[in-house]
Amino acid sequence: MTASARATRTPSAGPRVSAGPQVSAGEFAIETRGLTKVFGRQKAVDGVDLAVPRGSVFGFLGPNGSGKTTTIRMLLGLASASSGDIRLLDGDMPNDARAVLPQVGALVEGPAIYPFLSGRANLQRFDAADRHTSPATRDKRVDAALERVGLSHAARKRAHAYSLGMKQRLGIANALLAPRDLLILDEPTNGLDPQGTREVRNLIRSLSDDGTTVFVSSHLLAEVEQMCTMIAIMSAGRLVAQGTLDELRAEGTAHVRVTTPDHADAHRVLTGLGLTPERHGRDDVLTAELSVPGLQPETVNAALVHADVRVRGFEASGASLEDRFVALTGEGFDVAG
Amino acid sequence: MNKNWRWLPAGIVPVVIVTAAVSGSAVAEAQPQLPARTAQELLEFVATSTDDAYSGTVEQSSNLGLPDLSLASPPGRTPSSDPTSMVLELLTGEHSAQVYVDGPDKAKVQVLDQLAQRSVVINETDAWYYDSSANEAAHAVLPDKDAAKAALEAKLQEKVAEHPELQNIPRTPAELAQAFLATIDPSTEVTVDGTSRVAGRSAYELLLTPEDATTLIGSIAVSIDSETGVPLSVSVQARGQDEAAFEAGFSAVDFSTPDADIFEFTPPEGATVTEAPTADEAKAHIDEAKARVDGKDQPAPAEEPVVIGEGWSTIVELPAGTAAQLGLNLGTGEAAGMGDIMEVKPGMDPEEVAGAQAMLEQALTEVDGGHALQTSLVSVLITDDGRILAGAVSADQLVAASRR
Amino acid sequence: MPAESTEIRIRAGGLGLTLVLSEISVLFRRLRTWAMIGALALIPILIAVVVRVSSDESASGRGPAFLNSITQNGLFVSLTALTVAIPLFLPLTIGVVAGDTIAGEANLGTLRYLLVAPAGRIRLLLVKYAGAALFCFVATLTVVVTGAIIGALLFPIGPVTLLSGDTVGIPGYFVRLLLLALYVTVSLMGLSAIGLFISTLTTIPVGAMAATAALAAVSQILGALPQLEWLHPWLFTNYWLGFGDLLRQPIVWNSFADNALLQFGYIAVFGTLAYGRFSTKDILS
Repeated sequence: MTASARATRTPSAGPRVSAGPQVSAGEFAIETRGLTKVFGRQKAVDGVDLAVPRGSVFGFLGPNGSGKTTTIRMLLGLASASSGDIRLLDGDMPNDARAVLPQVGALVEGPAIYPFLSGRANLQRFDAADRHTSPATRDKRVDAALERVGLSHAARKRAHAYSLGMKQRLGIANALLAPRDLLILDEPTNGLDPQGTREVRNLIRSLSDDGTTVFVSSHLLAEVEQMCTMIAIMSAGRLVAQGTLDELRAEGTAHVRVTTPDHADAHRVLTGLGLTPERHGRDDVLTAELSVPGLQPETVNAALVHADVRVRGFEASGASLEDRFVALTGEGFDVAG
Repeated sequence: MNKNWRWLPAGIVPVVIVTAAVSGSAVAEAQPQLPARTAQELLEFVATSTDDAYSGTVEQSSNLGLPDLSLASPPGRTPSSDPTSMVLELLTGEHSAQVYVDGPDKAKVQVLDQLAQRSVVINETDAWYYDSSANEAAHAVLPDKDAAKAALEAKLQEKVAEHPELQNIPRTPAELAQAFLATIDPSTEVTVDGTSRVAGRSAYELLLTPEDATTLIGSIAVSIDSETGVPLSVSVQARGQDEAAFEAGFSAVDFSTPDADIFEFTPPEGATVTEAPTADEAKAHIDEAKARVDGKDQPAPAEEPVVIGEGWSTIVELPAGTAAQLGLNLGTGEAAGMGDIMEVKPGMDPEEVAGAQAMLEQALTEVDGGHALQTSLVSVLITDDGRILAGAVSADQLVAASRR
Repeated sequence: MPAESTEIRIRAGGLGLTLVLSEISVLFRRLRTWAMIGALALIPILIAVVVRVSSDESASGRGPAFLNSITQNGLFVSLTALTVAIPLFLPLTIGVVAGDTIAGEANLGTLRYLLVAPAGRIRLLLVKYAGAALFCFVATLTVVVTGAIIGALLFPIGPVTLLSGDTVGIPGYFVRLLLLALYVTVSLMGLSAIGLFISTLTTIPVGAMAATAALAAVSQILGALPQLEWLHPWLFTNYWLGFGDLLRQPIVWNSFADNALLQFGYIAVFGTLAYGRFSTKDILS
């Protein structure tokens, strides 16, 4: 399965989605070409060509260990690429890091805090690290960021007393300290309760409405599906798919599911249509991928009826992203690659 | 993404440092171009420099082949003030001193030890010695210079009247230089051996080479500042030794007049101050002792030292009893083993004495008829009958001389 | 449009002194920092109390320099404490602070956020070094000032006898103490640079701290071996106890200058090594 999934990968061409008037400043907020990172002999990231349009909410999907975080580290100049180019907000990374990074807010591999400082002091510390921010407005900006993630009540508490969710909120607040053109959020809903997850989703939506490009990585498809207009899927260091949700769904193939006592006849009919039916669990159920171009489920049903196959149930399912994801990554969720 | 160039500074910096260190010493060793001078002219030049004022750091090191004293003394201790170990200490290892000189009358020498200091301060009226670790000071009132000078001149005139040949006493620097050369000429070759740089200044090298083959001294080199005539360094080469056996010289020197208050000294509160007798008191003391001895009709306490040989291989023999007077216990009949070399006298720290003794034991070797201290420049022989012989010759020659 | 706004922001940012202030405030908001300063302050207090309680004159000749002078003048507590603190306690605390500089941030994970902010790698190194240097000064000053205070409380104080036998008044002595603190601070700069470099090698701060403190010990041991005399002028600990030259009249500046030059050499070598390492390092913590 994996091999065939790779074959369907859309190489660098990628989808070109118009993302509003901002396009003129340079179409993409993030663009990589042949991005590769080698640790020892292992290729953690292998020839990734990302294209994140400005103004999009871009989901960066992949199982744990598929190279997402390493890619993000290279995007932010934390790690150097073994080969390949990165353009971030029209700047060359890591060479233009000084000019580019002030406009980028980031949450990388979970939040990190000084446990002996209060939440507020933590943010002030990170804000001071950016020489482009104004100390005069620091307190105001820090408070606004805390307010935005709902941490105002705990601002003066020492951060080591924070719960996992509070730390996560603090990490997101750090990314929001200054007005950003691009947010890179690595697993932003980690450790959050459903309420918090919803809040983060709304936050991302409102940021996007303000014109910020948001790049969200996640190993959870459902999350990405709810927030993002575009996604890219990583598997074992390679980018296996990239496009809008609809494009990816369209790339997937529909299935038919036939429940019949005459499974031998049904098998023959389906094979005759060019499909490769499989028997699943119960003897009387056959499934088949609608892999023949132009073949519609209703045609299949008609063919079965025409051949006097007794059909107890017929079900046609459209392509789900989940199937697509499983097909592309070849693995279940939460499995380290 | 080749970022290896960022390691470049880390490679360059050590190279720069090493280059600077090497070229620095190369500059120091470069020989400056100076107008040629004869030995006679150089000596005159030195003689005119006595009125100069300067200050600087003097580094002194000895390599006499003695065991290093810093190993023998317990760690963390400041150098001992006990005279024997102090002398031994100055003969081994390295020392640094700060020197201030303003003409012939004012001088200050500070021997800089770690967290301690020994200073000698001399001004027109007083001479002070101060040891910070013991917090002890010694003070001497200097005789009135002008009066002393006048008295000396008067005496000289008196003598000249008696002995007309004394008219030739050297007075001018040139005469002094000539007299010096005449005195040492038969035994020594005096040459000007090129130029050098000392403490960043260009200097002439005056080289004294003994023509006597029996002496341990190979040569003595004196660096003389080319502008002022102040000797900047002295190094003594032992025969058959590559490294200088004794070296003392400025590592930094400044020919501006030091502040006058540098030559002032007031002993700190709580310091033990020993007053040295004035010249008159000393004379009275000697006279009194003499009178007492004469009165009791006893033989003189010690014979006069005997000088054997001449020139560089001169040997000085101190008569029997001297060793005992110095607190050295050798040769009191206990032939077997070394026994206690040093006596513990009242007021001495037994531990210090033990330390000094351990050092002496290490340094002394048993020879026929006594114990010898052989260094690369000087040998000392303590005979079993208590005589002490010393000279810039080998211990064997001292033994031979002692049997004479 | 983004290029324009970047330029404006850079101009507004200026030198970015705020990161230095932030570094200092983070350093001195840590309990650990105060614990170390407290431990250093304990040295003069312990010395003074012990001397006061057992003030019989027989204990002479042993122990560090100036110990015997304390009973006569309490101001000597500072000097005694400093001679005790220099070989072990000061390098230990400096090892902790310098070893923690980069490795500590890496261990917390905060390093990645500082760099993404962006703090700039060179700038962060410089700021971290400045923080360590300030700690050196504060640590030294702690020993000196606590010593002077406890000495004044427990013993009579008065004009101070210098090594040269000259006497200076109390204000003059305090000027010298300040110079002394400066000398010791400069002495520790080389060690701080070494610590900074080691700190860029690892993400385990304890390892960097231990290695730094151990190197201080190794250097002092090598400095005590007369067989290695050729090496001594190159050891960063060579002039550590040379502060006595500031207690002479007139002050002998040689060791101050030699020490400064030596420490500068160490800063140059290990500073560039730290730069080489840190600017090429992948931040994976």
